[in-house]
Amino acid sequence: MPGSAVRKIVIVGGGSAGWMAAASLSVLLGRRVEEIVLIESAEIGTVGVGEATLPTLRAFNGSLGIDEVEFIRRTQATFKLGIEFRGWNPARTFFHGFSDLGPDMRGVSPHQLWLKMRAAEDERSYADYSITTVAAGLGRFAPPIPNPGSVLGSYSYAFQFDASAYAAYLRAFAERRGVRRIEGRIVDVRLRPDDGFVDAVLLQGERSVGADLFIDCSGFAGLLIGRSLQAGFEDWSQWLPCDRAVAVACARRGEPTPFTSSTAREAGWQWRIPLQHRTGNGHVFCSSYTDEDEATRTLLESLDGEALAAPRLLKFTAGRRRESWKRNCVALGLASGFLEPLESTSIHLVETGIGRLIELFPDRGFEPKLADEYNRLMARSYESIRDFIILHYHASGRDGELWRYCRNMPIPESLRHQIELFKASGGVALLDRSSFAEPSWVSIYFGLGVLPRRHDPMGDLIADEALSREFQRRARIVRGAAESLPTHGAFIEKFCRAAT
Amino acid sequence: MSESGQPSGRGLRSVIILGGGTAGWMAAAALARVLDGSQCAITLLESSLIGTVGVGEATIPSLPAFHALLGIEERSLLAATRATFKLGIQFRDWRAIGTTFLHPFGPYALDATHELFQAYWLKRKEEGQPSPLEEWSVTGLAARLGRFGVPPPNDSSALRHLSYAYHLDATLYASFLRTYAEKRGVRRIEGEAIGVTIDRTGRVESLRLRDGRSVGGDFFIDCSGFQALAIAKALQTDYIDWSHWLPCDRAIALQCESAGEPAPITQSTARPCGWQWRIPLQHRVGNGYVYSSAHLSDDEAGAALAASLEGAPRSDPRLLRFKAGRRDRVWVGNCLALGLAAGFLEPLESTGIHLVQTGLARLFAHFPDRDFDPVISAEYNRLTALEYERVRDFLILHYAASQREDSPFWRDCRAIHLPETLTYKRDLFAKTGRIVMLDGETFQPGSWLAIYTGLGVWPERHEPLVDIFAHAAAAAGLESVREIVRTAVGRLPAHAAYLKEVTRLA
Repeated sequence: MPGSAVRKIVIVGGGSAGWMAAASLSVLLGRRVEEIVLIESAEIGTVGVGEATLPTLRAFNGSLGIDEVEFIRRTQATFKLGIEFRGWNPARTFFHGFSDLGPDMRGVSPHQLWLKMRAAEDERSYADYSITTVAAGLGRFAPPIPNPGSVLGSYSYAFQFDASAYAAYLRAFAERRGVRRIEGRIVDVRLRPDDGFVDAVLLQGERSVGADLFIDCSGFAGLLIGRSLQAGFEDWSQWLPCDRAVAVACARRGEPTPFTSSTAREAGWQWRIPLQHRTGNGHVFCSSYTDEDEATRTLLESLDGEALAAPRLLKFTAGRRRESWKRNCVALGLASGFLEPLESTSIHLVETGIGRLIELFPDRGFEPKLADEYNRLMARSYESIRDFIILHYHASGRDGELWRYCRNMPIPESLRHQIELFKASGGVALLDRSSFAEPSWVSIYFGLGVLPRRHDPMGDLIADEALSREFQRRARIVRGAAESLPTHGAFIEKFCRAAT
Repeated sequence: MSESGQPSGRGLRSVIILGGGTAGWMAAAALARVLDGSQCAITLLESSLIGTVGVGEATIPSLPAFHALLGIEERSLLAATRATFKLGIQFRDWRAIGTTFLHPFGPYALDATHELFQAYWLKRKEEGQPSPLEEWSVTGLAARLGRFGVPPPNDSSALRHLSYAYHLDATLYASFLRTYAEKRGVRRIEGEAIGVTIDRTGRVESLRLRDGRSVGGDFFIDCSGFQALAIAKALQTDYIDWSHWLPCDRAIALQCESAGEPAPITQSTARPCGWQWRIPLQHRVGNGYVYSSAHLSDDEAGAALAASLEGAPRSDPRLLRFKAGRRDRVWVGNCLALGLAAGFLEPLESTGIHLVQTGLARLFAHFPDRDFDPVISAEYNRLTALEYERVRDFLILHYAASQREDSPFWRDCRAIHLPETLTYKRDLFAKTGRIVMLDGETFQPGSWLAIYTGLGVWPERHEPLVDIFAHAAAAAGLESVREIVRTAVGRLPAHAAYLKEVTRLA
């Protein structure tokens, strides 16, 4: 049926992925599609632990016309300048911030310039030149000014928020734009006998809901894409062996930090995500090296404040759906793949998936080449983030069974190439431009102590003394700029405090 | 510790460039500029007895940026190389005899995204209001009307979207860059290299000259053209042959007097056994017939070319033989190949000089020291391969999508079994209108759209987003783009008048 427009879309599942899709499609397709329905069951909890995000979320919210201050108040959000990594490098804590180390000189990247200074036995830390690292260390925050030439205009930020509140907020938003919500539990999926397309989902109570296009946001269950359409799953657990997380919220002590913390543990790592009203915590671990009780104990022993609920356990397998788009079904969020929240990428991948679905939007002919292209692009996004996360484990100098395994395991060829290139030259080859860029890779390499054998020889055209002077100047400016910012808590209090 | 400009430790002390055609002198000029202040000596070896190919006279818009890096003033370039401006390529008789379309540089529809513009443009066509692509960009319309003017740097009008390159005399261009490079310390050695000495570790040690001298250095750049003296003969790299996809293997080039004022476009006219270029310079017109020797003899090609000239010939015809393809590795140890020594793609989209330029940019981004870590050259080679393959696919499309069937050559072209990457792209466009961008693309979606639709490949389906975008497009002011473009281009002088004015001032 080429030439015939999609009339009805059914979104299965109402977690963050489902409501992000509903909100976005209602804005972008509102005039075109006759009906958008979201089916969710209040009985089924959402995962809702993806509480830290990347700066791209601001563009996503912007595309919906969402007012940022209102969004922050409604989701108890705080600001995030990056991630602090504790224990990943036994020698020191490091920071992956949403900024770089300053401008190039003579076309030479700032990290190469720092390597040159280091070769000249200048012992200053590269972190002194990163505005987000210095501001985060001081607990300061204000949004960047609209002047990219200034150090205060050369960073970005993301949010740490209550994902359930975000879903609820987007639900109200989408419902106002005509998205119809059906409460119900899906018991079966009916496929068209002739071509295997999804015909309808069957709900408890013998109701059925049909559509032209189905969006599977049913989480790990993958009700349509996995169970029904058998889209296959590429298992990446040989590279990312962590397969459990235990999560708990606790009372907050002191001001919220403008960053997420990730602390390496014996058999995994622990997150700490400060919101306005509480702090989210979780312990991601590998069940081959520790058990749930031990992991829970480790988590509870290290909370800032009292636990606000009983810890919740999540089980997962790292990997990706072979075809996120199959026939007339597109999977988003956990239904399309899982990568542990080490770099806060899950909501980002939902945004990416929605954006590409809109770019490649099908008609009722469901040209298979559209799905091919969607799957090709999503595979690259998932794989490049996968590689980035594997790097954290593989290059860590930490001791312990899990860590030794990760250090010695064979890694994907794409990552092996990246690491070798960096070690040889300090160069970063980006395999997917929509994902982590050079400054992010450099943060992790440097943070974990992976240093190139040489610096860019072009850097030698700059005299040591001139370089040293320039970087002293930069460090001074960065520190001064960071100190000029209000504290994170004061900024929130003044501009965007959530109603309690 | 290093003093200012001292290579510390393992830095290159010398670079030897082998060959002084366009590629060689571009490399010399760029190195002289980028390594300014270093102790690294740059030497270029060339023989005035060996002619250069020098037919790559049309360029694409990356070249003005190269000159900006070098600090070259446009006026002096125009005067020295007898250059004219180029806004795109006009393709004649490619889809079918008697048809014409333009491939202008740069994106369409001013500030709108390509996706938005394309959806909107296709919808207008479906609704029976087709309008040629070039009316949607200042570059395109100026190309059609023969107008040109470089907008002032802070221009806020639609003219800031004007995207241009040059037609230039490649021999004059090489000598212009030679002057530039020599002024900045590049040493030129007159002499003919006849061999390359490789040391025990497999690195190039020196070049042997006919007169018995030898020239040694740390790093060698092979710009010896098709001969590929170092990269092929000495270092034994393989050539990946693409002639089954790009069957033209000869060109015959001939200059003639111009019959009128120079137009700011290159013309490419499809012929029974290939295609013919027409490149207007200030003082003459460059012509050439690119053909398949399996389908046409050299004499027939020469006669066909001579018969089609608009003015009296100004040179003897020159015959070039080539084979489409690339070296499997362009950087081996301490030797890098640029230009024709690195690979050959016919001049159909004027990529010859561009590929030299990106080869240099890539060198500066992966600059070696004397350790010549193989990981770095492997990355350089990976990126180069991608770039060549993407351009290759774009060129193949011109032949494969043509609807001509009036000669054995064109019938054979229709039977070409495409590379997988191109099949994927073409099918996706034909089925859905989506333009796929793979890693390493030189040509952007606007260029692909011009070639697809110019050759008659249109998407089968109604783009579902068109209606959604129609609203957004109206909001983005697409309705008014053609009017804005017309007004802006109306303010431009005729190309020839502008050229006279600029060169008079030089």
